[in-house]
Amino acid sequence: MTEDGPIIEVRGLEARYGDVCVLSDVSFSVKRGEVFVILGASGCGKTTLLKHMTGLMLPTAGCVIHDGTDLTQLDEDGLALLQREIGIAFQSGALFNSMTVGENVAMPLREFRLVDEELIPYLVRLKLSLVGLADAEHRLPDALSGGMRKRAGLARAMAADPPVVYFDEPSAGLDPITAAGLDELILSLRHLLGITFVIVTHELDSIKRIADRALMLDRGVVTFLGTIDEAMASDNERVRQFFERRPDEYIMHRNI
Amino acid sequence: MSDKRAAAPDRLTESTGHDLLRAVKAHDLGRDDTLVLDFAGCSFMDSRGGAWVGRVAEIARSAGADVRIEGQQGQVADFLEMIGPGLTTAVTPRPKPMGLVERICDTTVQVVKEAGQIAELVFDALYWLIIAPFEGRGFRWDSFTTELYEMGVRAVRINCLMNFLLGLTIAMMSAAQLRSLGLDIYVADLVVIGFARELAVIMTGVVVAARTGAAITAELANMKVQEEIDALNGMGLNVSQYLVAPKLLSLVVAMPCLTALGMVMGVLGGAFWGTVVLDHRMEVWMDHTLAAATIDDVMQGLIKSFFFANVIVFVGCHNGLRVTGGSRGVGLMTTRAVVMDIFAMVVIDMAFAALLYYVLE
Repeated sequence: MTEDGPIIEVRGLEARYGDVCVLSDVSFSVKRGEVFVILGASGCGKTTLLKHMTGLMLPTAGCVIHDGTDLTQLDEDGLALLQREIGIAFQSGALFNSMTVGENVAMPLREFRLVDEELIPYLVRLKLSLVGLADAEHRLPDALSGGMRKRAGLARAMAADPPVVYFDEPSAGLDPITAAGLDELILSLRHLLGITFVIVTHELDSIKRIADRALMLDRGVVTFLGTIDEAMASDNERVRQFFERRPDEYIMHRNI
Repeated sequence: MSDKRAAAPDRLTESTGHDLLRAVKAHDLGRDDTLVLDFAGCSFMDSRGGAWVGRVAEIARSAGADVRIEGQQGQVADFLEMIGPGLTTAVTPRPKPMGLVERICDTTVQVVKEAGQIAELVFDALYWLIIAPFEGRGFRWDSFTTELYEMGVRAVRINCLMNFLLGLTIAMMSAAQLRSLGLDIYVADLVVIGFARELAVIMTGVVVAARTGAAITAELANMKVQEEIDALNGMGLNVSQYLVAPKLLSLVVAMPCLTALGMVMGVLGGAFWGTVVLDHRMEVWMDHTLAAATIDDVMQGLIKSFFFANVIVFVGCHNGLRVTGGSRGVGLMTTRAVVMDIFAMVVIDMAFAALLYYVLE
């Protein structure tokens, strides 16, 4: 557990839904302070991988090591403690509808008594201004647009200053301006606070802008692991197809 | 007008923020002062440090002083720039709650509006149920049979059990009183009249409101939240035709059947107590039961159950379709629907009692 070592290490991960093998033998590591992107076609197991990395699901084989601690070996309490060190921003924001945006962000701080009560309102306002929602503090989640909800979800994920933030599909369903804003936000947060980001996405522009390294999944198997430049130069057919936005062969023939 | 300076520590974090707070509090800030936060000696700050800056800025502002930040560089400058708006603006106050008069007016408007919405739903559903089929616009029979199974057949067991137990309870309680007078055979009369006119229909109403009424609201509310209702409308399909009318017909058919079954089970519950504990012969008990009840008593119960069925479907659908606010809204509306169902049933029951025993008598 050194400062330079990987913050997350996944070894030989295997996941099954009943008889269906969703992930098989997935191994990689995420370095401290990098923006690591998990990409791949829809249904390839990206979100399942994310759920395993955050301890929301347990693997059938393999392990996930978070800052030196193996998630899969922890009991329920140990896992809950470790999960406080992780921020998760969900695809739809997953805000609690009964609370205002501000209360949503304050919730982890209050629940875990992490910060001086005196400081909480200011910390909430600071997190909300980081994501550009300073004036939405007293609004209810259903009064927000999809992009705003997503940003509020990110503010809540960062509330307790976790060293790692997982972000599921940050730019899906957003307009290009908001999506680009979110990309810049991720880069600034990494730069200013040294947060490590693990991001699941399939937005090509966003990947090229923010990713340090990427992992590509295809039907539950790792097809590529490396930097974005390496990915663009890869001669793997599946990787090329992804970056060149080519549909599968049978669809090409049907369209002619 | 004077500048009051406070220097930020080298690393501004949660713990070192207290030093900054003390430095600011040491100044006696007044209306004409400017609090200058000097960041020249600060090489790093995290977000909790940023929150401290917000806190001291608030202290200065509440004393009427201005705040200026200077000397920042590197990471600190970037960070301060990024959170700038959150520090320089005052905390936005929560919206004020409404006054009494405003609230009364608001409630009145809401009630009238809601009555209008329910009326619209009723007319719409009745059109799709009664008139539209004759105009060649279809009624969804497949949905009707599914609903009938769900609302009727699957409620039979619990409804029978509840009515049986209620019959047993009524028999126990009344026998305790009547036995001392040697009149305990009249428990049979009491149970059958009670169940035919009142108890079976109320007990069945409560069971169905809790089961079906809640289910209708939760289903429609979730469909609304998930935009399925919009999808239906967007396909040019009518919600009343597609969802409300089949439910209405199903429950209007199922509810009297369940009530009739409830009457039988209530009487059997009473008979069980009468024969097993009170030691009456079954034939005697049943003779008394059949002699006491008239077809009018049974009809009274069945007619009420018809009205209850309408209430449960309309209240359920109405509350489901007007949900706002996601998962919490679904819970609120479901609770509201069941409460409204039971309240409306009691009111209808009372109206029937007044009508039958005082007006028409």
